[in-house]
Amino acid sequence: MKIGAKLKDKFDLIVVFSVLALITIGIISIYSATYNHPTAKGNLNKQIFFMMISFLILFVIYFLPPITFRIIAVPTYLFSLLILGAVLLFGKTIYGAKSWMSIGPFGFQPSEFAKIGVILFLAYWLTDSKRDINNIKDLLLTVLIGLIPIVLILLEPDMGTVIVFAGISLAMIFWSGLNLFGLFVVLSPGIILFVSLFGTIPFIIALALILMALVYFKQNLFISGAVFVVNLAAGFIFDFILKILQPHQVKRLLSFIDPSADPLGAGYNAMQAKVAMGSGGLFGKGFLEGNQTQLRFIPEQWTDFIYCVIGEEFGFIGSIIVLAIFLTLFLRLLKLTDIAGDKFGQLTIIGILALLFIHFAINIGMNLGITPVIGIPLPFISYGGSSLFTNMFLIGIVLNIYKNRKHHVG
Amino acid sequence: MTENYFGSVVRRRIIFILIIGMIAIQTFQLISMQLLESDKYEEKSQSNSIKTISVNAPRGIIFDRNLEILVGNKPSFTVQVTPAKYNSKNTKIIEAVLNVDSGYINRLLEKFRKFSKLKPITLMRSVDYKVISWLEENHSKLPGISYIVETKRDYSFGINAAHVLGYTKEIDRKTLNKNKDVYAIGDDIGFSGIEKKYESILRGQKGKKLIVVNARQKIVGKYNDGKNDIAPIKGNDVVLTLEYETQKITEELLANYKGCAIAIDPKNGEILAYVSSPQYNLSNFAGVTSTALWDSLINSKAKPLFNRGTISMYPPGSTFKMLVATAALEKGIITPAYEVNCKGGLQFGNRFFKCTHFHGKVNLKEAIEESCNTYFYKLILKVGIDNLYEYSQKFHFGKKTGVDISPESTGLIPSREYYNRVYGKGKWTDGYLLSLGIGQGEIITTPIQLAQYTALLANSGVSKTPHFAKGYIENLSNEFIPFNYDSVKVEISKKTFKVIRDAMEGVVSSQKGTAHGIRLNDISICGKTGTAQNPHGKDHSIFIAYAPSVNPKIAVVVIIENVGFGSTFAAPIAQKIITTYLRNNKNSAQDISNINLKVSH
Repeated sequence: MKIGAKLKDKFDLIVVFSVLALITIGIISIYSATYNHPTAKGNLNKQIFFMMISFLILFVIYFLPPITFRIIAVPTYLFSLLILGAVLLFGKTIYGAKSWMSIGPFGFQPSEFAKIGVILFLAYWLTDSKRDINNIKDLLLTVLIGLIPIVLILLEPDMGTVIVFAGISLAMIFWSGLNLFGLFVVLSPGIILFVSLFGTIPFIIALALILMALVYFKQNLFISGAVFVVNLAAGFIFDFILKILQPHQVKRLLSFIDPSADPLGAGYNAMQAKVAMGSGGLFGKGFLEGNQTQLRFIPEQWTDFIYCVIGEEFGFIGSIIVLAIFLTLFLRLLKLTDIAGDKFGQLTIIGILALLFIHFAINIGMNLGITPVIGIPLPFISYGGSSLFTNMFLIGIVLNIYKNRKHHVG
Repeated sequence: MTENYFGSVVRRRIIFILIIGMIAIQTFQLISMQLLESDKYEEKSQSNSIKTISVNAPRGIIFDRNLEILVGNKPSFTVQVTPAKYNSKNTKIIEAVLNVDSGYINRLLEKFRKFSKLKPITLMRSVDYKVISWLEENHSKLPGISYIVETKRDYSFGINAAHVLGYTKEIDRKTLNKNKDVYAIGDDIGFSGIEKKYESILRGQKGKKLIVVNARQKIVGKYNDGKNDIAPIKGNDVVLTLEYETQKITEELLANYKGCAIAIDPKNGEILAYVSSPQYNLSNFAGVTSTALWDSLINSKAKPLFNRGTISMYPPGSTFKMLVATAALEKGIITPAYEVNCKGGLQFGNRFFKCTHFHGKVNLKEAIEESCNTYFYKLILKVGIDNLYEYSQKFHFGKKTGVDISPESTGLIPSREYYNRVYGKGKWTDGYLLSLGIGQGEIITTPIQLAQYTALLANSGVSKTPHFAKGYIENLSNEFIPFNYDSVKVEISKKTFKVIRDAMEGVVSSQKGTAHGIRLNDISICGKTGTAQNPHGKDHSIFIAYAPSVNPKIAVVVIIENVGFGSTFAAPIAQKIITTYLRNNKNSAQDISNINLKVSH
């Protein structure tokens, strides 16, 4: 009891056990997805190796003095921009995106590292007492901090990660107390962009709504005009995006708008994933018994479509347990913002929560056919070293903040 | 938003609601997919990975009346190609090994272009074992090439009977489109004869093999250990009325002639032997029939593909005289004692109608025995066109017999209406009838009609529709299901039939009889010779007969083309058919239901 209480004091056990549970589920699912697979059989061992490294990372981060994160915030961010730029020049193209860097035998994704940089730097920047997020100049600077890595990632191009970065910045700005008009300014171009995917008429309707909103906010003419122009431009960016995006990404995007248009092409993965999920039923077909999984109807299932392995082989019970664990983790992270000793810690946790939640929402969504197929992994469960390292690094920060919750640092 | 400050309660709540909301949406979707619509997805998942391969059923055996096998089945190798896996680099060598012309494989692939690329299609049937060994050896170098073992028709039982049995052929597109539920592209279907007529009985029921394939359509294994597979059901065996020995002898007897021979059981219309000569060799149709063979069969002057027994139409010649006599007797126009003085022919108007000999004074019996034309020239003038037509109708001339192979010709019996139509009313005279009296002129009949006519003469006007199939043996129950055939009756007095029978008996037994040469001591044969005039060449020799004269068991029609007078060629053949049948113990009054079914399945 005494040891238990001590451990509870040092570690946030809810976070620790949620993460451990998810990693374990991940290992089991990867085992099934790569079982007897001709080329991916080794992925299980690799993932176990990644897991061990990630524990190491977690512990190192956990034991760092809390001041470290403020100190490294700016350099990490700048270094992130540097490697995001470098990957565009020297990177390796995988699945149509130039997002991989090779260092000797190891490959890693700079955008994964950049997530840490952006979260730490935004937390540092936004909690600086000099700044007022509702000051238009400070807001624009903040948006710019978030936007630079987004533009660099857009050039790779990696749509999924762009959305993650946008979500992180947005959540952190939102938490910082941005007023409704500010939120409107930040969000409206994104909404316009999304709506314009569906054609000209939705675009015009959305633009009209934006105009009405501008009238409602009664801001000065210059600002209102500027916001409108930005929105207008956003609508036309769609064409530009279509040009940057790789053909397979365009197809995926379009296949979300009309999934039945190309059932054997871009919509194939989404459809097969849904079939795998749905055919699992209440209890699932049993471990290694899912025919969708074992007969490889879902390509590269151990990465982005890992959730439907669980859905098929462990059914509704397995699927809902995964959702429940994530829910527990997310709500605990939200709760930890109360416990955190300072605003920097709070905001860092919000950034981490946003990152994990967006990954979770999009990934589960695409397995269930409620979001388009945007290739981003399910945290802690999907196969892959880079994303696991980043996530464990961030969980390390969370645990560090928890451990030092009583020490106020400014 | 009033609380525009860092980490306000409202903002915390919004994030809380976002998280709860998102997971609620996902949960609803999970419930809908995995609990409510799970069946739909399960079905899709199954159809993804479980593929059905249909397995062809062996066709039913064709037996003779005593359950001797006439047509069986034997294993056959079929080479298949799966377009998706096929490497066109191998086309040349495969075409060389299969011994087909270059471009064969490309044409085939083109034909199947619109079908699934992952389904194997038949490249060649009935491939030699050596080719299969070669394929086995080079298996790894020949992606997309595979073979299966099927069955093909086995014609090695000593009987050809090509025009009766018929053959099977790959189903054509039109027939396939009409019967999509039963057939698939590349299936064989009965194309002629019994194979065609009893296709639905013979073809059996296809089986199903369920296999599990992976996303690349590679076969991973059987579905559910093959427990859900459906084995093909072999077709039902058809029992024919043909008698093996009689058929075999008949084929041999006609081997060197053009013409046909039909032996029939007069009591029930069962056809005991049937040969249309020349025949084609059925064994050439068991596998792939080469174009060269087809061309030679189609272009042959002897027309081997032509089924003379049901399609050819010959004037019946003197065999028709019994019909004229029957009409005259039944109508009371003459009595058997009616005499005519034959002086070698009859002068009618400005034309002299010849007889074969100077017969002198002949009565009806003698006129038939000696085949006196003069007697029947005179008789037909008394009988007249209307009576002749009436009695031709009674004996079912001028219409199809309904025999169970097709096609069948109707033949032609001229009537008053016919002459009026062709020559104009009042523009034809009785002189037109004279030829009809001796079975020449406009009268044309098919051999199968003559066979029915002979059967009716033999059995005093009572028989059944001529037919080849007795019934079939239901494959699953091993039960014999007989076919029923319509009775054919001619309302003619027993007395008249007796007169005719005596005369026909005299044709063989009497010293002067035209077929005296085939007389036997132990079997009394009733017969009638005939010569069908042939404007294109030598006359055709015809002989109809039945035996024994009392309670006859076999009626025979033999037509030998382009050899001249009836008794010389046709009669001895008919005699051998009769003796073969009657001297065979097996054929002494027996019933199929008494036969112990020795069919093995």
